[in-house]
Amino acid sequence: MTIADLLSSGFSIASNTLGNITGYLLIPPPFFVFSFLSPVVVILLFAMPFGGICTYLERKISADFQERVGPNRVGPIGLLQFFADGIKMFLKEDLANKNADLLVYNIAPALVTAGSMGAFAAVPFAKHVMGANLDIGVFFVMAIGSLVSLGILLGAWSSENKWSLLGGVRAAAQIVSYEIPLGIAVLTVVMVAGTMNIGDIVQMQLWPTGEGGHFWFIFHNPFVFINFFVFFIAALAECNRTPFDLAEAESELVSGFNTEFSGMRFGLYALAEFIDVIMFCCVAVAIFLGGWNLPFVDISDIQTGWKILGGNADILIQALFMIIVFMAKVCALIFVVMWIRWTLPRLRVDQLMSLCWKYLIPIGLFNLLGAAIWMMAFHGRGLIEVIGLAGGHH
Amino acid sequence: MNALDIFAFSAGLLAVLTASLVAFHPNILYAAISLTFSLLSVAGLYAVLGADFIAAVQLIIYVGGIIIVILFAIMMSENIYRVRFLDGARKYMAPLVFCAALFLLLLKMIVAYVVPLVPNPQRIPLSEPIGVALSTIYALPFEYVAVLLLFGLVGAVIVARPNYKEHKQGGKK
Repeated sequence: MTIADLLSSGFSIASNTLGNITGYLLIPPPFFVFSFLSPVVVILLFAMPFGGICTYLERKISADFQERVGPNRVGPIGLLQFFADGIKMFLKEDLANKNADLLVYNIAPALVTAGSMGAFAAVPFAKHVMGANLDIGVFFVMAIGSLVSLGILLGAWSSENKWSLLGGVRAAAQIVSYEIPLGIAVLTVVMVAGTMNIGDIVQMQLWPTGEGGHFWFIFHNPFVFINFFVFFIAALAECNRTPFDLAEAESELVSGFNTEFSGMRFGLYALAEFIDVIMFCCVAVAIFLGGWNLPFVDISDIQTGWKILGGNADILIQALFMIIVFMAKVCALIFVVMWIRWTLPRLRVDQLMSLCWKYLIPIGLFNLLGAAIWMMAFHGRGLIEVIGLAGGHH
Repeated sequence: MNALDIFAFSAGLLAVLTASLVAFHPNILYAAISLTFSLLSVAGLYAVLGADFIAAVQLIIYVGGIIIVILFAIMMSENIYRVRFLDGARKYMAPLVFCAALFLLLLKMIVAYVVPLVPNPQRIPLSEPIGVALSTIYALPFEYVAVLLLFGLVGAVIVARPNYKEHKQGGKK
């Protein structure tokens, strides 16, 4: 499916496939305009609160690591803290420097948010539950992310502050450099899978019991296994997370590129960072860690025969299970990201660049070549099929 | 006129408007920003025509790469964004003749090689034919471009780094 298909048909959260299978008509024709907007609304309703909860989790987890209590006043065990933070941000005064370039200053946070949220359109949460089942899925996610560096750079420059500018330049240089190992690591999976469609990539990671599954691609062969870590490190750098948060190094640059921003504009930057983390975790889970697939079982085998309102309920139950599995993996990965943040110190600029150019890129390229040779040698079969763990399947 | 046509025409209109802003805006930073939006709308045009892969390439290379480098250059140059780049001198004749000739040439080409503008009727993923073409019939040009890029990279390193021999001797002292 291409973007033009989506535009001409009007897309729903499930591209109407879910509706066709279960017998419900999800989008009746008069609501055509809504069908354009509904995925956007669903993505916003998913990404914004999830990003907010992540800020709460970050504070709670950091408190755990430092043997503190963390937020515990607003709601039970501080659960509503992010809500209070959000209200505070909305009510704060929206300030700008006297010499700031207001037009650029105002659109920059929007660009960052658009870049990090746009990628969710291609994230597969369950078999038919994705915003857009694009043929170029993985590539689209990589491409739309380039808006983030643009927004960071423009926001940093327009706020007329040397710390901001330094932070913005660092962030942009870092993001542009780390896109290369990230792309190489993604390319390894694309080569192994033979497609860029994320939905198809996840579908290929079934447990190999005769349906053309290869199990999770991270276990496909040793080269992909190493490239998963290349991907993960590069993704950490792409999100400007510690140990790569030189762009907002508070000991040197106050707060980096978002120093001058206040109120909800700052909130958008902070939220966009967390949404970036969620997005990269989603992509890592989808292309390396099997998406909604579990070992030994196939969730789409669940058959209850139940009916809801005359439609087939099985598809909905399977989708629910798949979403739970997918989100559990994503949450585990997000925890690792936070764990790393509160464990490791920050790198220096030269260390950052030499890690990218002297280590990650050569390692990634070597593994890309290795994975290609593996695909030739074993006719595209994964490690599990080669050693015969799952029986004689081709 | 269906939804696709509306999207196509608005993307084209936006591309032309922002491109003329690039040409006529006195502030170089604003020109660069509207160049970004011009390139984005061209990407949108590709997407409407069914060429998703090209649209994503447009986004990742121009917005993620070239525009960032242009912005770097503008932001690192002191006060460059306060300089007015359009001079008042009337130099219309030569560009006008050149542009008119170019326009006529383009018009002739468009008329000569007219193809019906149907948005990719089969809607097959374009990435596969592109990959096959690049590794079979266009393998040589593709490799040639890769070598050219490598030359560019090595050249940039040589230009950017301090004199290697002096640096080495300085290190020995």
